[in-house]
Amino acid sequence: MTPRAFSAGLLILGGALAAWSAMRLDPGSLYLLSEVVVIMILAQMWNLLAGYAGQISLGHQLFVGLGGYALFLAANNTGVPIWIWLALAPVLAGALAIPLGMVVFHLKHAYFAVGMWVAAEIVAALVLKWSWTGGSAGLILRPGGESMTSNPERVIFFGLAFGLVALVVALRAFLASDTGLALLGMRDNPQAAEASGVNVRRMHLLVFVISAMGCAAAGAAYYVNALYISPSDAFQMNWLIAMMFVTVIGGLGTLTGPILGTVLFIAIREVMTNAGYSGGTYWIVIGALAVVVLLVAPRGLWPAIQDLTDYTKRKAFR
Amino acid sequence: MTPVGPLFQANGVTKRFGGFTAVSGVDLTLGTGESVGVIGPNGAGKSTLLGLIVGSLRADAGTLELEGRDMSRLSLPDRVQGGIARAAQIPQTFARLTVRENLRLPAVFGARLHGAEASDWVDEVLTLTGLTDHAGAVAGELGLLSRKRLELAKAVAARPRLLLLDEIAAGLTQHEIETMIGLVKSLRSDRAIVWVEHIPFALRETCERLVVLDKGEKILDGAFATVWEDERLQSVYMGVADHAAA
Ligand SMILES: Nc1ncnc2c1ncn2[C@@H]1O[C@H](COP(=O)(O)OP(=O)(O)OP(=O)(O)O)[C@@H](O)[C@H]1O
Ligand SMILES: [Mg+2]
Repeated sequence: MTPRAFSAGLLILGGALAAWSAMRLDPGSLYLLSEVVVIMILAQMWNLLAGYAGQISLGHQLFVGLGGYALFLAANNTGVPIWIWLALAPVLAGALAIPLGMVVFHLKHAYFAVGMWVAAEIVAALVLKWSWTGGSAGLILRPGGESMTSNPERVIFFGLAFGLVALVVALRAFLASDTGLALLGMRDNPQAAEASGVNVRRMHLLVFVISAMGCAAAGAAYYVNALYISPSDAFQMNWLIAMMFVTVIGGLGTLTGPILGTVLFIAIREVMTNAGYSGGTYWIVIGALAVVVLLVAPRGLWPAIQDLTDYTKRKAFR
Repeated sequence: MTPVGPLFQANGVTKRFGGFTAVSGVDLTLGTGESVGVIGPNGAGKSTLLGLIVGSLRADAGTLELEGRDMSRLSLPDRVQGGIARAAQIPQTFARLTVRENLRLPAVFGARLHGAEASDWVDEVLTLTGLTDHAGAVAGELGLLSRKRLELAKAVAARPRLLLLDEIAAGLTQHEIETMIGLVKSLRSDRAIVWVEHIPFALRETCERLVVLDKGEKILDGAFATVWEDERLQSVYMGVADHAAA
């Protein structure tokens, strides 16, 4: 099968599955599944920057909150349909990421990570303080000043699920392109990439902007579903922790890893919450799982599974 | 006809590491088709000089011009795109990419080729450097000779007008060195080459000109045979076994 046929097949299959689920499943399941897809998209975006460009950000919750707030403010204060703002929120976040990236990429490694965290904290503090952003009380989604007449979860779920499939297809194509090859080369050896004529700085900025846009889109969709946004929720560290954990557990620098990690993450959370464990207890189990994975399979579960199947395949051929 | 200026010109290039001057006021002029050998004892500043020319190191003083264009302020990737490439002393390969992918990067981002044009050029470089059989191999799994060849091939793939070679034959067997010599000869025609090497016969075969660096300074520069006979060269190498053996 050619890569193009594979991509087309994936898109059609994913689209059909997303449409079927969006029409048939009950609102509660759709809400949960939407959250699953949101985390998958966030992890995919964090992974693009950390796993492929080698830049660990500790402030990506910034873009989740930014996407959500951009959408709520724009939708509540204009008569323009919410779907248009859903498309424009990531563009706004991407535009803001350019100057931010130019500043934080002056910082190296640990300083970049911390610099991003500081940036996220500053924006969260401002949103908390300002009255036009609703302050600590947050905002209720009232498009054009009127309350929502119907719940958006079916359309949102379809958009998110199809968006995730399209994102994975696009990332595969990107990694197969010459620009993607430059990214893989940078991951192996940044000096050698520069010595080959690759502008490593510009590539970092490109990937940073893409990851900001993806997080903002997912954040905007998530809070439309929630119908309510507040600074303590939208800019919370838990967003970052979720994207980091699922990526590291599933496999940093792989496209399948973040998906696998998210499934495990949500499964653990749901099972433990249903079994009656309170509040954030599941974080302990997830943290322990991460430690075990990092000790047993430092590159994450998906690469470990691949090694295993490679091994059995090789044995079978012998 | 108007007189054509030199292909490459370096003036007063200087590099200090703290209080220590590794390269001190070096001038170097090269024409198209010219190959220059550079020798000097360990720590003379040869690798540092090549690093300053390609831009992996920032010079503290001095200017660089390629084809009349000032390169002194350009970043490393901009200089590679502008026509300077180096095969480094320690091979800088992309360990997880295949040999072909290793060469595609400089072909696309250095030589600015696209699509099938880039693929054809990569095939040509593979043939030229004898790496065709390894094209699909992952670079991290190559042996020393192949890694050295790949490092050279990556520099060639960028289509430089000025090609800098840093000890590309070090550690190879006599037979392998002869292969490298043949390779360098085939690359000479439409570019300038600067080859740093501790192996005299390799330079004698390929370079009509020889430069001697010592303690960061250029002390000799001229026709190979003349410099080779110069007694100042002998004194620089007093007691250095490498040279005595040659
Ligand atoms: N990054 C650096 N920081 C401090 N000193 C350095 C650095 N790089 C090189 N040097 C010093 O500069 C001097 C010149 O080093 P260089 O590598 O250019 O020598 P070389 O002529 O290439 O030697 P060799 O033949 O051993 O490769 C050496 O004394 C080295 O220790
Ligand atoms: Mg050296």
